[in-house]
Amino acid sequence: MKVVIIGASFAGVAAALETRKRHPKAKIVLLEKQTTLAYIPNGLHLYWRNEIADLNEARFITEEQLEESRIDYYLEANVKKINTSQKIITYHYFGKYEMIAYDKLIIAAGSKQLSEKIKGSAQESVLKYKRYEEAEAALLKVKASERITIIGGGQVGIEAADLLSTQKKKVTMIESMDYIMFKYLDEDMIQPIQRKMIDRGIDLKLGKTVSTIDAVSDHEVNVHFADDSVTSESVIMSVNVRPHLPFLDTHIAQHTDQTIAVDRYLRTSIKDVFAVGDCIQLSGPDNDQVYIPLINNAVRTGIVAAANLNEPELEFKGSLRTIGTNVFGYYVASTGMTEGESLFSNHKVKTTRQKIKLTSLQNANTVTVKWIYDAETHVLLGAQMISTVNILEKINTLALAIETRQTIEDLQQKDYFFHPSYTQMIATTNLVSWMGERVDGDEG
Amino acid sequence: MKAEDFLEKNEVREMTILSQLISHHGSISYNDMLDHLSVSKASLENDLESIKSWTATSNQCIAIHYDGQTINLKLGDEMSLLQIYRRYLDQSVKTKIITFLFKYQKFTITQLAQKLAISESSLFRKIKELNNYLKEFNIKIRNGRFDGEELQIRYFYFQFYYYIEDKRKLLSQFTSNQLTQTIQSLENYLKVTISSENKQKLRIWLIISKMRITIKKLQTDYLRNQMQPYLKDPLYHKIQVMVFRYFSRYSIEVDEGEAMLHFAYLLAFSILSENDFHEYRLLRDRHAPIASLDTYIAETIIIHFNYRRLPYMLEREMYYHLTHMHTLLYFFRGDIEYYDETVFIQEKQPVGKTLNPFAEKLLETSTWKFDNQMERQKSLLTILLSKYLSLLVFITSKMTKVLQVGIDLKLDDLYKETLSELLISKIRPLNGVHSERYVSHKKYDLILTNETQHDSDQYNEARVYVLSKILSSYDMRNIQRILQELNT
Repeated sequence: MKVVIIGASFAGVAAALETRKRHPKAKIVLLEKQTTLAYIPNGLHLYWRNEIADLNEARFITEEQLEESRIDYYLEANVKKINTSQKIITYHYFGKYEMIAYDKLIIAAGSKQLSEKIKGSAQESVLKYKRYEEAEAALLKVKASERITIIGGGQVGIEAADLLSTQKKKVTMIESMDYIMFKYLDEDMIQPIQRKMIDRGIDLKLGKTVSTIDAVSDHEVNVHFADDSVTSESVIMSVNVRPHLPFLDTHIAQHTDQTIAVDRYLRTSIKDVFAVGDCIQLSGPDNDQVYIPLINNAVRTGIVAAANLNEPELEFKGSLRTIGTNVFGYYVASTGMTEGESLFSNHKVKTTRQKIKLTSLQNANTVTVKWIYDAETHVLLGAQMISTVNILEKINTLALAIETRQTIEDLQQKDYFFHPSYTQMIATTNLVSWMGERVDGDEG
Repeated sequence: MKAEDFLEKNEVREMTILSQLISHHGSISYNDMLDHLSVSKASLENDLESIKSWTATSNQCIAIHYDGQTINLKLGDEMSLLQIYRRYLDQSVKTKIITFLFKYQKFTITQLAQKLAISESSLFRKIKELNNYLKEFNIKIRNGRFDGEELQIRYFYFQFYYYIEDKRKLLSQFTSNQLTQTIQSLENYLKVTISSENKQKLRIWLIISKMRITIKKLQTDYLRNQMQPYLKDPLYHKIQVMVFRYFSRYSIEVDEGEAMLHFAYLLAFSILSENDFHEYRLLRDRHAPIASLDTYIAETIIIHFNYRRLPYMLEREMYYHLTHMHTLLYFFRGDIEYYDETVFIQEKQPVGKTLNPFAEKLLETSTWKFDNQMERQKSLLTILLSKYLSLLVFITSKMTKVLQVGIDLKLDDLYKETLSELLISKIRPLNGVHSERYVSHKKYDLILTNETQHDSDQYNEARVYVLSKILSSYDMRNIQRILQELNT
């Protein structure tokens, strides 16, 4: 069996490794458009954080590891066409057109940061650095810039704003919504971070949509929004990513949003063709089909597709959109449905927000937790956390609770260890109103 | 444009023949029909032939017979003129071009000509004809796709699917749980309740929007310009937040333009209930163009009729309708005139007739205030005029106290009975008037009699009109005038 995988980022590599595990004899070929293998998207942030000394270190797997697993890979192989009737892929490789036949095909081509609405966003001075080459260019450009405008206040944008303001850059952040990171956090939870951003001198422009970017000189760029504009040396695009799949043949069904339509086994409308990662919609926190381009989803979908190559064996369980990060001195994490998003669902939700001590000690740090649960059944639907200390791992407990449909009451009965230096009477992930300082909510 | 512009000349004629037959109890002579159509007998025969050929396959729901002297039509109990009209529209090439364009967003001449089984040159001709009608919408079909402001394109599609193409087909083809959920979310977000009829309208609009959303370059310059006074509008803000949040769940990029499209639509097509609209009206900026025109027109109406003020709920309702009309005028261009059922107000109803000049004045005022180019807007203005008129009829009938008219004819008993009844039946269509044979000592507002009175106190304070000739149109006009005077 010959398995061809388009894209060697997280989804593609995960699919390749899982395929090898399940099919020791299969021939596995990865076709990657980039010049580098397994670059961690936004690895530039690791560099700015001083966690790596060189961008090249931002890799999640090495060539050797792939070779050990007998996985062939072609870098700078740009797929041009898929012919699903003849099962042949045409790709551009070092100046020539090459063809490769497949028995099974996994499309893991990922996504791109691109905007069709913002005029001038394609020009060079507008930085995107999801990919390695882009990051290299961005690194130099940012170094030489004093003022930087960031478009998009999602997780990536806020991380960049944090890191750049630490480098004493003058940062302007423009976000269309009324508050930042709205996909993951509710407005009441994000306030400490927004306040900190303003304290740190970030010019926060909320509820503004960028219309045009134009270069005023070799060094300066103007970003226009509503009736205002801002001038800076660099502009960073951290808007939503979208799949870019010009090579698809017309037989492969797509959704309105251009993602590839797949079933719960990640099979496309064409036999023996699978799609994973940022190319597809997933079943989201409310079991509706949504687009959640996160690395954890990419890896999991890669594994699931590989498991279903011959027979549909493993269903993809969906995504709770679990995230965690550290920005502006706060650890923030989120999983499942937000209160803001709950308006799109059939659930009538209740929410509670509490500030909870993390240990039994006098000077214990606190975490603010928000629970979102079904008003009727009390089944947990979503949770958010913010703290000045690292509580990130705790979100996984709540993610598991949501996935296994635990109620608020179930959670109180869970068996957690106690140690006065590390815990308090009740685990922080439990909603027991007598332990926390109730900040807000309508628990009933 | 008119709905019949989607049809060919001969199809319009066939429709006219059928409509004439229905108005004449299903039977009409050749001569009368020829007079009405002003065509030759041969071409009438052609038309009848064509009707016959398609009705033959209609399962006897409709059958036509003609013998050179008379034409007869038989309709099944469940067949209406509207259905026949729909059948013609369904067959029309122009309709098919629009539905194809809707489904695929673009076409090549070769591809479409093949699909419609017509020659490329006649396809060209049809597109040219269509473009001529589309001028009033400020859009055109160019290079196999729609070209123009996005609001106008979606608006045209909306009119098209609401009035021309069978909307049930569209709804059954595209309605999904996702769509139902989206409308539910909209209700949650805006904290409003949308009636089931309006949900259907909204569904059509959202289906159209969904089909258009992925088009890369949507033109919204005019809309953005018109939206300038509304950027801080509370309803717009809510819609904007919802649009951004909604599309953040998909791999679709949107900007404010998308939110603006929905704002204009929601307000112009009365999607919100009167109650929900009222909540919005309390919050909106009263100096923004639409609200200030609403106030101006409302005051003009109140002053015109010498009302001191309107009852609270009636005033609310008036504002509700005015905002829809003015939003339409402020943002939109063109309209499809369809089966004008409002004509009756203008032509047949005496009240409508007297209010028409005032409605025209209101329209003139509002177009002038919005600096609208009248000549490009004919259809939209026609519709708006009839809307103003129905609003006026509505308000005046709500405000009118019922006038009591006593008919006191001095004639032989038999004539008196008959002529009084005839007079009563002539006055009956007038709004807010009750007429009866005069009963002595009862209080009346107006007495109609045929003899000059001698005893001045005979009718108390009632005004008296002496008929110059019973049942004459001269008298009827005077009676209407007096009733109007009594009412204001």
